[in-house]
Amino acid sequence: MTFEAGARAALSDAQLRGALRHATTLFAEKRRAAMATAPDWEGARDRARAIKDETLLHLDRYLDQFTASAERAGARMHWARDAGEACAIIGWIAEQRGARTIVKSKSMATEEIHLNAALARRGIEPIETDLGEYIIQLAGETPSHIVAPAIHKTKGQIAALFAEKLGIAPSDDAAALTAAARQALRRRFAEADIGISGVNFAVAETGTILILENEGNARLTTSLPRTHIALMGIEKVIPRFADLEVFLQLLPRSGTGQVLTAYQSLLTGVKRHPDDEGPDELHIVLLDNGRSRMLAAPVTRQTLACIRCGACLNACPVYRQIGGHAYGAVYAGPIGAILTPQLIGIERAAHLPYASSLCGACRDVCPVKIDIPAVLLHLRAEVVAQHAGKRRVFERLAFRAYAAVMARPRLYERVMRLARALHITPPLRAWTKWRDLRPLAPRSFREEWRRGLKKEGTG
Amino acid sequence: MRVSLFVTCLADQIWPSAAIGAVRVLRRVGCSVEFDERQTCCGQPAFNTGYRPEARTLAQRFIEIFEGSGTDAIVSPSGSCTAMVHHYHDLLEDAAWRARANAVAERTYELSTFLVNRLGVEDVGASFAGRLTWHDACHGLRDLGLKSEPRRLLRHVRGAELIELPNAESCCGFGGTFSVKHPEISVAMLDEKVEAIEAAGVDAVVSGDSCLMQIGGRLSRRGSSVRALHLADVLASTA
Amino acid sequence: MTDAARHQILRSIRANLAASAPSAPAAPVPRPPSQREQDADLVSRFTTQLEAVGAQWTLVRGEVEAARALRRILADAGAKRVAGSDAPLVARLLTERLVDLSRDELFTCDAGVTTAQWGIAETGTLVLESVRERSRLASLVPPVHVAVLSTACIVASLGDALARLDVTSHAITLITGPSRTSDIELTLVVGVHGPQMVHVLLLEEA
Repeated sequence: MTFEAGARAALSDAQLRGALRHATTLFAEKRRAAMATAPDWEGARDRARAIKDETLLHLDRYLDQFTASAERAGARMHWARDAGEACAIIGWIAEQRGARTIVKSKSMATEEIHLNAALARRGIEPIETDLGEYIIQLAGETPSHIVAPAIHKTKGQIAALFAEKLGIAPSDDAAALTAAARQALRRRFAEADIGISGVNFAVAETGTILILENEGNARLTTSLPRTHIALMGIEKVIPRFADLEVFLQLLPRSGTGQVLTAYQSLLTGVKRHPDDEGPDELHIVLLDNGRSRMLAAPVTRQTLACIRCGACLNACPVYRQIGGHAYGAVYAGPIGAILTPQLIGIERAAHLPYASSLCGACRDVCPVKIDIPAVLLHLRAEVVAQHAGKRRVFERLAFRAYAAVMARPRLYERVMRLARALHITPPLRAWTKWRDLRPLAPRSFREEWRRGLKKEGTG
Repeated sequence: MRVSLFVTCLADQIWPSAAIGAVRVLRRVGCSVEFDERQTCCGQPAFNTGYRPEARTLAQRFIEIFEGSGTDAIVSPSGSCTAMVHHYHDLLEDAAWRARANAVAERTYELSTFLVNRLGVEDVGASFAGRLTWHDACHGLRDLGLKSEPRRLLRHVRGAELIELPNAESCCGFGGTFSVKHPEISVAMLDEKVEAIEAAGVDAVVSGDSCLMQIGGRLSRRGSSVRALHLADVLASTA
Repeated sequence: MTDAARHQILRSIRANLAASAPSAPAAPVPRPPSQREQDADLVSRFTTQLEAVGAQWTLVRGEVEAARALRRILADAGAKRVAGSDAPLVARLLTERLVDLSRDELFTCDAGVTTAQWGIAETGTLVLESVRERSRLASLVPPVHVAVLSTACIVASLGDALARLDVTSHAITLITGPSRTSDIELTLVVGVHGPQMVHVLLLEEA
């Protein structure tokens, strides 16, 4: 489905629009309230961005350090150049362990590599345990938001889904629905052979990976099964253990409006003693998949500072109208519009940098101060320069003509006088279908200036 | 104080009252205003759509024209066009051009910031009877930090009552070419803005940018009696 | 196998960094505002935050009072089968706790009792370190979690806690209130996969 078709479908879906309006409004309120509890919000943003910049400028060094520290603590490290390689690695580990049941906590990186589909092709599909992910897995859909994957679904839709798939009586009580999911998943946690998770932050100094959550499913996923596989983008590494503090101040507040989420798991390697609790083995898969290319310019490099809080989605007036699925990509909203073309290539995502009015609300809320509009403008220039995406013959001609006319003031005046005389209005049906088009003024400013405005101020 | 007017191509051709009003207001507060007829467009439409070579040509032209103006300031009735000039250094990689761009940008002001911050003037002697509300156009708000300046000016307008919109800072959906590349999304965003304006019970919505075409166009299509006015239309009014 | 991948990824990183415009070295990381630890009201700040995040608490003096309070808390929660961590304190406070449980047995427990190594006043957070105690599962699987925390171990901020942590722990868990979700229409539901009730038994030394 094209972006236009997806957007149109979303705009005509009254239930979706209601859900989006409710969610984005509420998220924004919670974020604002949470910000007020931070001792020094702007200072924290600056610090976090400085840490990210420092890390990205020496990413190879910090990845080496992280690898060494994690291995020292007993983790097995794997490197994946692309999505296919990452799926192959994870699939191989699962097969080697003879896994029958795999549980999974929420990870956008696993969505990015389409892990579930790859494992399903090997005959083992992981069970999503995060409630939002569980809901969309049952529905056969993809996440529509980075932090709240099922935000596009109303309670009624979820109730109907659970009634159909879990055989429970339809209920409009969120607590009852949640309890049904908890019940259904309990046994899967108990019998799982492998747990797959993402990583929010990876500490180079100690080899620690940090996983944030509210439900407890990530803790269960990473402590009960014998094997834990953690997938992380290479940009998740930060230099020092102490650096975690500022990111823990920013991410929960920006993401869900909480001071802290219910749980943070700081996992460093594997247990030292067989009687200790937890997996016997930890595999960490480092994913590039286009990230290293983004390091090549400061304007694109900042894309890698993203901590996946989702605040930009909640602030975006475009996302608010169309939701995440219309973007047609794993990552939606403003961050999706800049990340996706850089991950999958500008040719396949040439339309995404234009899915924005450049209002800048995203830049205002980004905890690490990514200048998303600047990246969008950069990518638009790339689309034009590389002739990516659909052919824009008319547009190119129009801009070339515009530049030629605007470079010649007398020609400009003559063209505009002619348009005025002939009552020419551009055939902009895309505008006039919904909005009246203000006509050319009977006399332009410069004509008024010459006719008397210039002298009006004098004498 | 000598001011060179940066009219903007849109005001020149479609909303000349904004530029005429700006000239009159500036004169009223004691500035002399010059208009260099060589100017055309700052290049923003090209830049925003990804046509950098075209934008660069126009940027260099703008700099050449205005750097020699010898005036104390260059003043524009458009926040986004002023922001464009302030972003010329993103467009020009050459160090010499960047220096020239920055020198011009330093002297380039949007109208309300010029009046309030540079001249220290909030009362420009305007009269306008009616209930007004202000729409914060995105580039002015977020690139130039324009927030209190227009409101302070409007509060001094005799006979005008300024009502605050609950979603004053939300984008109206214009975004230049976005409004025609993605018209349905643009209009969905626009309708949230317009519904808030209509609910506010005002006579006019005021702003300082090309958004006015979008907002005004929808208001009139919906048969609304609410008018869309440029800040300079109100400030120049002595009715 | 992934050695070739590792080399290629690192090479790509270096090449792309080298290609980027010679940018100034990253600005030095600004120092966070210094925070003086205020011992005075750490306990009351901690308990206020516990309530804000939906956890319960009881303050006791000495182990005798603690044992009594613990029994009462568990009775109020209707907990009959109670799992315990391997902490000697837990053994002393609740002799009838269950230990060395299989996974399936753990899932049938009504409550889990552990200690916590640290409390963080600014957020109402408990910190559990695996190197000090085997509390990971008892604090997670049963629907009720009771954590015994010495008031002397409450620190002011997250940063203070991070500075004190023993990173030889393979698992450090920060717990702030009961488990929760807002995935359904952003309606808050307390009690999902982790415990739905957290009760902190604050122990002042007698």
